[in-house]
Amino acid sequence: MASFQSIMKKYLIILVIILNFQILLALYEDQVGKFDWKRSFIGKVKYAHFDSGKIIVGTEENTIACLNSRNGNIIWRQLLEDPREHQLQLLHSDRDLLSISGTINNWFVRTWDHHTGTLLSEWTISSDKSIPSEFTVVKGILIHIFPNLNSHLDVVTYNLDENNQKNTIKVPAPWITDTSNCVLTQSYYICISKNDISGQLYYVDILSESHNVHVKTLHSILGDVTDLIEILPFDDILPAFLLSSNGQASVVHVDKDTVNRKIYKVMPNAITNHNGEKPLIYQLEPAVHPDKLVQIRVKDYVTCQDEMAIELDYPIGLGVPTIVATATKNTLTDILLSTTDNAFMLVRLSDGKIMWTREEALSNIVTVEFFELPVSELDASIENEFKASSSSVFSMLSHRLNTQAKQLSTLIFGGQLMSKNSLVRDEFGLHKLIVVATKVGKVFAIDTLSGSIVWSYRLPNVEPFSILGEDKILLFAQRTARYAPLPAECILLAKDKYTGKGVMFQFDPITGYSKRGVKKLDHRIAQAILLPYEDDQHLKPVLIISSTNEVYLHPSCAVAEVYKQASRLYTYSFDEIGTFKGFSFIHSTKDKLRMTPSWELQLQPAKLVAVKTKHPNERVHSQGRVLPDRSVYYKYVNPNLIAVATISDDLVHKHVLSVYLIDGVTGLILYATSHKRCKGPVHLVHSENWIVYSYFNERFRRTEFAAAELYEGHVQSNSSVFSSYAVSLLPHVQSQSYILPASPVSMTVTLTERGITNKFLLVGLSNGGVIEIPWLLLQPRLNDLPCGPEESCIPYMPEIPLPSEAVINYNQTIGRVKGIEVAPARLESTSHVLVYGLDLFYTKVAPSKTFDMLKEDFDYMMIILVLTGLVVASYLTKYLAAKKALKQMWK
Amino acid sequence: MIYCLSAFLVLLLSVQKSYSGNIEYDGSVTIRLQHALVALEDPTFTERGNVTIQSLRLGQATINQKPLSSEEQLQLRDLAAKNNFYQIKSIVTANDGSQKTFLSAVKACMLAESELDDRLSVSIDYMGRVIAVALIVASKSTCEGAVVPLEKLKHFTTSVYVRHTEPGPIPDTASYIQKLEREREAKEKGEVKDNRSFLAKYWMYIVPLVIVMVVSSATNPDAQQGSQ
Repeated sequence: MASFQSIMKKYLIILVIILNFQILLALYEDQVGKFDWKRSFIGKVKYAHFDSGKIIVGTEENTIACLNSRNGNIIWRQLLEDPREHQLQLLHSDRDLLSISGTINNWFVRTWDHHTGTLLSEWTISSDKSIPSEFTVVKGILIHIFPNLNSHLDVVTYNLDENNQKNTIKVPAPWITDTSNCVLTQSYYICISKNDISGQLYYVDILSESHNVHVKTLHSILGDVTDLIEILPFDDILPAFLLSSNGQASVVHVDKDTVNRKIYKVMPNAITNHNGEKPLIYQLEPAVHPDKLVQIRVKDYVTCQDEMAIELDYPIGLGVPTIVATATKNTLTDILLSTTDNAFMLVRLSDGKIMWTREEALSNIVTVEFFELPVSELDASIENEFKASSSSVFSMLSHRLNTQAKQLSTLIFGGQLMSKNSLVRDEFGLHKLIVVATKVGKVFAIDTLSGSIVWSYRLPNVEPFSILGEDKILLFAQRTARYAPLPAECILLAKDKYTGKGVMFQFDPITGYSKRGVKKLDHRIAQAILLPYEDDQHLKPVLIISSTNEVYLHPSCAVAEVYKQASRLYTYSFDEIGTFKGFSFIHSTKDKLRMTPSWELQLQPAKLVAVKTKHPNERVHSQGRVLPDRSVYYKYVNPNLIAVATISDDLVHKHVLSVYLIDGVTGLILYATSHKRCKGPVHLVHSENWIVYSYFNERFRRTEFAAAELYEGHVQSNSSVFSSYAVSLLPHVQSQSYILPASPVSMTVTLTERGITNKFLLVGLSNGGVIEIPWLLLQPRLNDLPCGPEESCIPYMPEIPLPSEAVINYNQTIGRVKGIEVAPARLESTSHVLVYGLDLFYTKVAPSKTFDMLKEDFDYMMIILVLTGLVVASYLTKYLAAKKALKQMWK
Repeated sequence: MIYCLSAFLVLLLSVQKSYSGNIEYDGSVTIRLQHALVALEDPTFTERGNVTIQSLRLGQATINQKPLSSEEQLQLRDLAAKNNFYQIKSIVTANDGSQKTFLSAVKACMLAESELDDRLSVSIDYMGRVIAVALIVASKSTCEGAVVPLEKLKHFTTSVYVRHTEPGPIPDTASYIQKLEREREAKEKGEVKDNRSFLAKYWMYIVPLVIVMVVSSATNPDAQQGSQ
């Protein structure tokens, strides 16, 4: 019996081993973090509190987090609801942490544990009024105030200590004219009636029994002031507020019946600190010293005396700071600053040193571009050596000798600049630089190997364009780093925050150096395209179309070059209401490009939700699909194809999703399909000869995927040149749809250097995972053909399986995935992937496995031993055979 | 230069599947066609003719186009010779009286080479609203300018194709469940009796055996001869 059990055990072990072999697609435990990295962010800080060596923050991304005050690392983080609808309203740190977040009339009140971030309790407040309201906590009582203009205050109080006992009060307040002229400090609600000196100050203590309204003239508080007066909140703990005029503010202290203006003036960004022996005021000022930018001034709240002024080592690249919180412990004072470019930093007094900085701008990335690194100095000089620079023999000889001497010196003494920061291209293109543009207009370059920031550049007062409800800044790689010694060049296009006109920034993506800096354009940008033609400097021109259909070219000297190609140049534009227009450049002249409309589509009343073209660098390796009968079914690969998805409201079907494939040159609709009772969010992927899109089916209440593939048929109409005008055959369309048992938030497809590798769809899910789905699983099955392993075809399954091994970020949940960007490596099997959202996650994927790479655990010793063994054996046998043959001859 | 008539077969658009069974709408549409025969940045359009589609469902159309005047013929020939675009503007009037205007363009030389044999693709959305009118010339290649004798540029022979929006695919759960059912039933019934012949069943074991035997018998006589 015992022997039988041991046999069973052995079989079980073998079975487990076999099963394990089948999931080799996933990562081994020791490979975690080897090819990938993740950076976590929290968003722009809105509230911050110090709490015994930790910092508790609430951010505009509707996130609560606890940071280590020593290094700024996240100890815990809680993502609340979607920040586009819900916003944090209050973060109160007491015995427990209290947070209120919500929409205009629905709020979640939650308490959290300081140390672990676990949710302790949660209850909701809802109201039938849709007016802006305010929350505050005074002595364990949560006060919720609705100011009704010219009428009264609706106040609801909740006693947090006694089971959230609710109490509703109505305070008559006909003096509220504008909520921007009112502040709440402690339990006082204070308003000014006018923004100049003739105005009155009204205040009422909400928690008092009588609700006596006190009225004071601003003149009696401020004296003679001619400028505009603003009322600003000052502090949560002291009943005080600020009256600001002309960039300076007076602190006004309220105490029951009296208001009392402090004699000193402060900056409107001042803040108080209650941790020390006495309340102190901290404020930021421009530094006196010419080398420093910012200084901190400290004043005593009661005596109004200047305590000290400390100049900070404020770095140049960052935006304008404001103080969020301060805390004093022993003799050290920590100050938290938040800047206009969303950075968050800790400054320690008394030396004014910046302890750490968090670049929270990276929590809101809008555009990503991968860049190849330049070759090393040695390689560049070798390349330079063989460049035919002149025709004469002697100059060529001297050139060669010169470069070879340089090569020798770099070989011996090592490179100077490039090798030091090791931003050098590797053989397989696995080391790249990611340039990202963020919503606040800060540009970062990130190293793919380490995830560290190489450089950053802040563009002041810019904002992204809004394309179909999505924020986008345009980034074009005009010249890659391939053409040493010419530097790589990249162009960024965004919108001016105030004028709405275009902003252009041209820079070297490797170093971040910009020759011309930020250039403001005098027109709005409607469309911009990177043209595929290079000038003699290997620079690809960028074509910008203004909102008045004027055409601009950067660099403008490329007009002559582009004019030669003008008869083959087309573009399109669209607006959200569903008009699609195509343009040609046939009426251009040698010195001015002109755009003329050539086709037009009208998709109204449907609304455009997605427009996708193929990736410009995509290559299609295989021209057809081999059928079981050995015939070829040719793909319809039209480089000018635009995939468009629209949603229209319908009386019968509620929502109808329509998908069109449009030829961008002729405006011919090649394929049109509609899904009734289906609505967004629509995610569309367009690659090679196929599209995949996801949508929500209202009838079955599930997310579905549909795939459509285009074929020319069994004959290829023109194998050498493709022209959109030569229409001899409309493509055959195969389509199929599937159920996705998850909710996608973003979708893209892998891209490899030569397009030989299989395609994988990368789908970002709402649960923070990014899953890879092989295209083979979605590829429409041909109707009357067998499908099985022999045909290398996976039989149709209506539900797409989502095994956990297919999650490329394994257990590293990515907060609020917003987009996925891919780029090919120079190794055919591999693509770079950057997933961005609140977090950043980088990894490499190999859809056909790493067929062109040796495994890292490859046994080099073994193969050397085997090879030498074989060589020795063959020589030995040769010798023996010769000996035997000789013996045989003597016989 | 001899103008060669390329009389290849055009398999165009005949692949239109018929969805008439699924179509819930029907209606008639009139299209007023105008064309621009002079290549200008802001072209002037002149009347070309009218197309009436009586039934969108059936896709039947009456085409009424007058022949080109000699002046227009010259203009068109000029357009073709200079490799310019022949632009049309279609003003579509639907049943309810709503009007929509569409633009489309083809290479003039292609139109001339095909002797004014063009196709009008009228795309309609799921409700039967016209969303695009595109002019195409069926051809396997493009041209870069062509001179065509004037007498060939007189009558348009236009074909109109009404192109419907296909209903999208639906996940086919029913047949998949049936397939699983069938597999389960087959399993429950037990192994299907294998009634193949002995050879058909075990050929993979027999063939190597035979080969080994043949090889060994072929080498043995040699060895015997060698030893002699």
